[in-house]
Amino acid sequence: MLKVENVKKAFGPVTVLDGVNLTVNPGEVVSILGSSGSGKSTLIRCINGLEKLNAGKITVDDFDVSKPKELAEARKRSGTVFQLFNLYPHMTALQNITLAPIEVLKRPKAEAEAEGRSLLAQVGLGDRADAYPAQLSGGQRQRVGICRALAMKPRYLLLDEVTSALDPEMTSEVLDILAKLAKDGTTMVFVTHEIEFARQISNRIVFLEKGVLLVDLPTEKFFADDGGLAQPRVAQFLSKMRKD
Amino acid sequence: MRLDLTILIPHLGFLAEGALLTLEACALALVGSVILGMLVAIARTSSSQWISRLAFLYVDLFRNIPFIVQLFFFYYGLPEIGIYIDAFTTGVIALSIAGGAYASDAIRAGILAIDNGILEAAEVSGLSKRVTFTRIVLPIALRTSVRPLGSVLINMILTSSILSTITLNELTGQAKIVASDTFRPFEVYVVLLVVYAALTYLVSLGITLLHRRLNRDLQEQVS
Repeated sequence: MLKVENVKKAFGPVTVLDGVNLTVNPGEVVSILGSSGSGKSTLIRCINGLEKLNAGKITVDDFDVSKPKELAEARKRSGTVFQLFNLYPHMTALQNITLAPIEVLKRPKAEAEAEGRSLLAQVGLGDRADAYPAQLSGGQRQRVGICRALAMKPRYLLLDEVTSALDPEMTSEVLDILAKLAKDGTTMVFVTHEIEFARQISNRIVFLEKGVLLVDLPTEKFFADDGGLAQPRVAQFLSKMRKD
Repeated sequence: MRLDLTILIPHLGFLAEGALLTLEACALALVGSVILGMLVAIARTSSSQWISRLAFLYVDLFRNIPFIVQLFFFYYGLPEIGIYIDAFTTGVIALSIAGGAYASDAIRAGILAIDNGILEAAEVSGLSKRVTFTRIVLPIALRTSVRPLGSVLINMILTSSILSTITLNELTGQAKIVASDTFRPFEVYVVLLVVYAALTYLVSLGITLLHRRLNRDLQEQVS
């Protein structure tokens, strides 16, 4: 279980997360919606330990990310996919994927490579294993980014606006992969602006507003008039996003 | 004045010996200065205040003292306090220390230019600091710093001519001897000009190839 308990985070005088509670059970897909600056990405960055909490507690399968000794274990259990891919530019797609399994999980190189190739094949990049990031399109890079996270066999996949830097065609390439992962039962925390897609794949939808978790509801309920839409701020957000 | 290079033929072997010595000193100093430069660059980007200050002090000190003064200090100054080092070793050490100060600048710039997101990706995947540095930070930094490092190396070859002032008869030292033996400084120094130019040209050619190799993934876009 991934548990966020009363987490507070401020950058200087600006409060970004103001007492957030969230639980993600294995097998669930939880989408986090909210306007820019609502704290969505910061929440992901707190979960994977890139930001230090000011208060509260985050545990990944009972490993506390605030404790340096437990952070390593927590990080083994979660994999992050970034908005801007953050691939290692000097390594091929395959090397990007196999580096951590070999160095962190101490997997034999041949085994890690075989698995890396099979992951690449699953995302339709079987023939691009030896390409460098600069030789790939944005959508292809992000698919490599997803493989890199999956190669560590994480129990939780953290996705931080993974399609925001992509054009619509490339976005659908990436979303197709995520839909497949969701169907296979991969646990995901999915920060996104793709509302319709979130609706299709999520079990639950969470709405963040100015660092406060306003709504946390099962997907159907979130889009129902007497559920999430009863919240004026959510209704306003959804209608605005759909207009755009 | 007529240019008559044939008078140098009997001295070619002697000059070649000097050129070889220059090459040896520069090759060793290249290795020394790049290793030193890396260590100092790491130290300068270190989170420990003390280590980074010490590294900055080293770089500032050796960049702000004329090389010939550093060299004289090592060769003529240190024996006064009982430290004797032969001319060749002194030359290599002095070139490495001076070159290391400049090399560290080039490497540090490469390290600072790395996109923070890449380091975050390495961090969340659980890679240790050591692996992150050797497998990610250094290779990416070298991609951008190999050209400035090349300038440092070329400068080092040019600076190595100063080693003749501490009795080390490298190329320039031998040339001076030939010039005074033959009374034909014009011919001798014409040859010297050409040899140094050829040497540095070869080095810059090598650097270009290395740069291309390190950035091979970008070739399609560049060409």
